[in-house]
Amino acid sequence: MLRIDQLNVTYGGLQALDGISIDVKAGEFVAVVGPNGAGKTTLFKSISGTVIPWRGTMLFDGVDLATLAAYERPHLGIAHVPEGRKVFSGMTVFENLEMGASTEEGRRRWNDTLDLLFTMFPRLKDRRDQYAGTLSGGEQQMLAIGRGLASAPKLLMLDEPSMGLSPSMTDVIFDAVAKIHKEQGLTILLVEQRVAEALENCDHAYVLETGRVVLQGSLEELSSDDRVRRAYLGL
Amino acid sequence: MIFVEQALQTLVAGLSVGCIYGLLCVGLALIFGIMRVINFAQGDLMMVGMYVAIFVASFVLPPAVFGVATPFIAALLVVPVMFIFGYLLSWVLISRTAGLKAASLTEGDAHQAQLILSLGLALILQNGAHILLGSSPAAMISPLSSSAWEVPLLIDDFSAIFFNKARTVNAVICVVISVVLFWFIQKTRIGKSLRAAASNSEAAIYMGINVSKAHNIAFALGTAIAGIAGGLLVIYYPVQPHVGVDFVIIMYAGVVLGGMGSIVGAFWGGMTIGLVQQLSTLFVPIQLQNTAIFVVFLFVLLIKPEGFFGRTVERA
Ligand SMILES: Nc1ncnc2c1ncn2[C@@H]1O[C@H](COP(=O)(O)OP(=O)(O)O)[C@@H](O)[C@H]1O
Ligand SMILES: [Mg+2]
Repeated sequence: MLRIDQLNVTYGGLQALDGISIDVKAGEFVAVVGPNGAGKTTLFKSISGTVIPWRGTMLFDGVDLATLAAYERPHLGIAHVPEGRKVFSGMTVFENLEMGASTEEGRRRWNDTLDLLFTMFPRLKDRRDQYAGTLSGGEQQMLAIGRGLASAPKLLMLDEPSMGLSPSMTDVIFDAVAKIHKEQGLTILLVEQRVAEALENCDHAYVLETGRVVLQGSLEELSSDDRVRRAYLGL
Repeated sequence: MIFVEQALQTLVAGLSVGCIYGLLCVGLALIFGIMRVINFAQGDLMMVGMYVAIFVASFVLPPAVFGVATPFIAALLVVPVMFIFGYLLSWVLISRTAGLKAASLTEGDAHQAQLILSLGLALILQNGAHILLGSSPAAMISPLSSSAWEVPLLIDDFSAIFFNKARTVNAVICVVISVVLFWFIQKTRIGKSLRAAASNSEAAIYMGINVSKAHNIAFALGTAIAGIAGGLLVIYYPVQPHVGVDFVIIMYAGVVLGGMGSIVGAFWGGMTIGLVQQLSTLFVPIQLQNTAIFVVFLFVLLIKPEGFFGRTVERA
């Protein structure tokens, strides 16, 4: 579904991504883990087009993403739930979700999606007319994910959804993501610093360090790797 | 009794001026609220609208067909003309210093470039109009400007207040346009996309919203509103190339008073200024009208620095 080959990104002179290749197949749950500053957000922004790579190719369902402007990419079925949530703070919860449904597919499936979202996150239903800026961090994350799902995407990309959340709220969010993957069969690309939680549900994972993929494999392969066990899982 | 009559008459004048100021402020607030662009040329866009209205009324609309409605229809026709003009301005010029294209500049640099660009635009519009049209004032003649509806006061047999017909129709049009615009921004999908682009342009892009186009639409709408307000104003206020200078100050005062970025606030800010400007003449010499505006302005901001409708929606 998404094939990234030899992606290079620089900021000024600084190399943020150095020849990254990543493959996400339809229906998979893929995790990209790595420490702060590894280039995880940069990878997501390149896919979404808010950062322009200087080398490498990105194909989504066979379409070369470089040929599309950033705002056209969501219409292909890519939903990006950005780092730090970035909800529309002066708009209500409901309006935020409506903005998610800016894609044609999102509008077509709007009623079904809304039912699904409000069942999954009843807190959003209770607060549907509240300004998004007044929600708690966890509620904002639910809204950000809901807004992504409202576009009825083929691929849901989540950038550190656990950032700044309490452990119990983090569990709620991760459980919701796992449930969406299982029940809807939605393809998921998750970026995380919390390695243990991220690896728990994934089919395949990449370990990113200073702009390079240093390790990749299935959940079993990674969790039996000594480096991962020591550096990330604290075992 | 004379004072009551005079006070009510002044109130009527204040309300009608306030409606025009309110609409002017709404246009400025729209541009600021959605693009974060401080547009110094807003008064001059109003001036262009005044000339366009005169041109349309004199050369496009046959008076025999439209009769006394001619000036108002001319003002309405200013909307598409100025919308296109504003869209082109934004697309070709403003977008280079605001929004996405300026993302590579640091915030401070982009801000200064944008201020200087809009000042430059103001000078070009003023002096361009001066070269093309000369400095003598032009006016739109309407029979309605010199006739009034008389409403008896019922406190005695002879007291009455007069509603100038042209000004009253103008005020109603201003209110209707402000309400329609507010509805458009709050309720329609395009309006909501504009607000989303304003709230967080990066996230708006991830929703598939064309943020550059949203900014162009916002600027075009703001320009069209300045234009129609000018088209309505010129029915009783003569235009000359530098007329915008006085008005842009009033517009900024109104927008700040209403709370930066709030469209409803901007209308009430403009209305307050119109009312203070007219009602002050009851108590102070007419030369102090504008002083009175800024005394009230400073007073309101001392008590409520965020303006009437300034609001914070971030979680405390
Ligand atoms: N806009 C930017 N300008 C310059 N450098 C940046 C910018 N964004 C990120 N970087 C740098 O790129 C590297 C990768 O950052 P990022 O992708 O945010 O990492 P992560 O999301 O894994 O924490 C870091 O060294 C960071 O400082
Ligand atoms: Mg990051």
